[in-house]
Amino acid sequence: MPRRVVITACSAITPIGHGRADIVRSLLQGVSGVKPLREDDLLSRYIHSRVFGTVDYPVAYDFKRLYRKTMGPVAYYACQVAKEVFETAGLDGAFMASGRLGVAFGSVHGSPTVQRGIYRTFFGGDRSEYAAIGAVDYLKSMVHTTAVNITRMFGITGRVISSSTACTTSSQSIGYGYEAVKYGMQDAMLCGGADEYDTTTVAVFDNLLACSTGFNDTPRLTPRPFDVSRDGLVVGEGAGAVLLEEYEFARRRGAPILAEVAGFACNNNGGDLILPNLGGITQTIRLSLQDAAIPADAVDLVSAHATATKMGDVIEAQAIHGVYGDRPRVTALKSYMGHTMASCGVIETILVLYMMAEGFVAPTLNLDEVDERCGMIRHVRKPEERAVRIAAIQNFAFGGVNTGLIIRKFE
Amino acid sequence: MTRADIAREILRIFQEEFEIERPDPDDDLRERHNFDSIDAIELLVAIESYLGSELTQGEKKQAMDIRTIRQICGYVEALAKSRNVLAEG
Repeated sequence: MPRRVVITACSAITPIGHGRADIVRSLLQGVSGVKPLREDDLLSRYIHSRVFGTVDYPVAYDFKRLYRKTMGPVAYYACQVAKEVFETAGLDGAFMASGRLGVAFGSVHGSPTVQRGIYRTFFGGDRSEYAAIGAVDYLKSMVHTTAVNITRMFGITGRVISSSTACTTSSQSIGYGYEAVKYGMQDAMLCGGADEYDTTTVAVFDNLLACSTGFNDTPRLTPRPFDVSRDGLVVGEGAGAVLLEEYEFARRRGAPILAEVAGFACNNNGGDLILPNLGGITQTIRLSLQDAAIPADAVDLVSAHATATKMGDVIEAQAIHGVYGDRPRVTALKSYMGHTMASCGVIETILVLYMMAEGFVAPTLNLDEVDERCGMIRHVRKPEERAVRIAAIQNFAFGGVNTGLIIRKFE
Repeated sequence: MTRADIAREILRIFQEEFEIERPDPDDDLRERHNFDSIDAIELLVAIESYLGSELTQGEKKQAMDIRTIRQICGYVEALAKSRNVLAEG
């Protein structure tokens, strides 16, 4: 018998703020977190896109060396949002170590900052530099570094899932965490994703001509999802975590319930690894609604993946229209902070939770003139006071991976 | 370098690198201070840097049973002696 799964705590570090108050203020005031690309003495000089969704404020970390010694920058992000979630949730220590709490958390590359240090040593060619590779560099840089640094810091002994599927990393974390709780394998899952400041990812998209380059002197004016003058995505950094609990477990311990995870789907386009695919996207949206057992017309808000690429936005608008028509509001939250890669799915989910809690819908930033090929859906152009009961969060990744999450306000 | 220099340097490494303040010379570092195998490898790198020479794999393996600050100091003294850099005093 499937069980109900609820979200009981969340936290995010984003280019537009850390925590609910900062982030909501930025959404309501239309603040952008896109800033000039920083020089890195490696790749930045070759990159045409001079913008980055940047966390440019200090984050106060208070981790003992015992934990710090296996953490690169990406794990700092991950452990900080996890810490904030656990502080809010107040789970007792015995449960944390019971094996009934698991972690689903990932990043795109692990820690590129640490990997660069290793490569520098390898390519240095000097035998004496070999010792410069730290004994723990692998633990700091490996792809599942975020998940296992969280388990170590909080003594968690349950399942570990560490998706690394580019832009669907953290939406998969939530989805697979939801399934682990729904089908009784775990009673709670800490789910999310993180990615640190990294120019490697920018270079990849830049070489594919997928990055925004036309707003280098006015970073806040890009990305421009669905806008006629959009010219590509902007890479960003950040982290987010949500705590999923089985409903009865959460109710018994008196946890505040932020929303219910009503449905999830994930599929693959089964072909090209880069091009957006209308059939694949449409199918994942339909499957997520089917999993939630709700009709398309029950959805109030769609959080679009909308990276502001020329074709991606058009295909996504067609998919949204094909499933939902023009009824639900559609917002593109990457317009505020760029594409935070592994963390985008969970950050967008958290932003939707904030909007549900506060009764508003944030508009797509920089949407000055809607591309007519994207004009058949109901774009949000200015902040709207509006009760959101059911929201769909959709994310699509290189490799042809698509995810759809359905969350429902808990009433 | 003298025995006193070595003891001072080891305590400095523990304080600055491992954030372990004033450990008792006979504390079991693993039991009392969570000093683990990762730290042991980092300590060997710090010792190589202090001595100014690489340790052989055999020398490194000898360190794996060490549990206390007193044993570490004795280990480094032996390494210094074998490299003719240990002075009396």
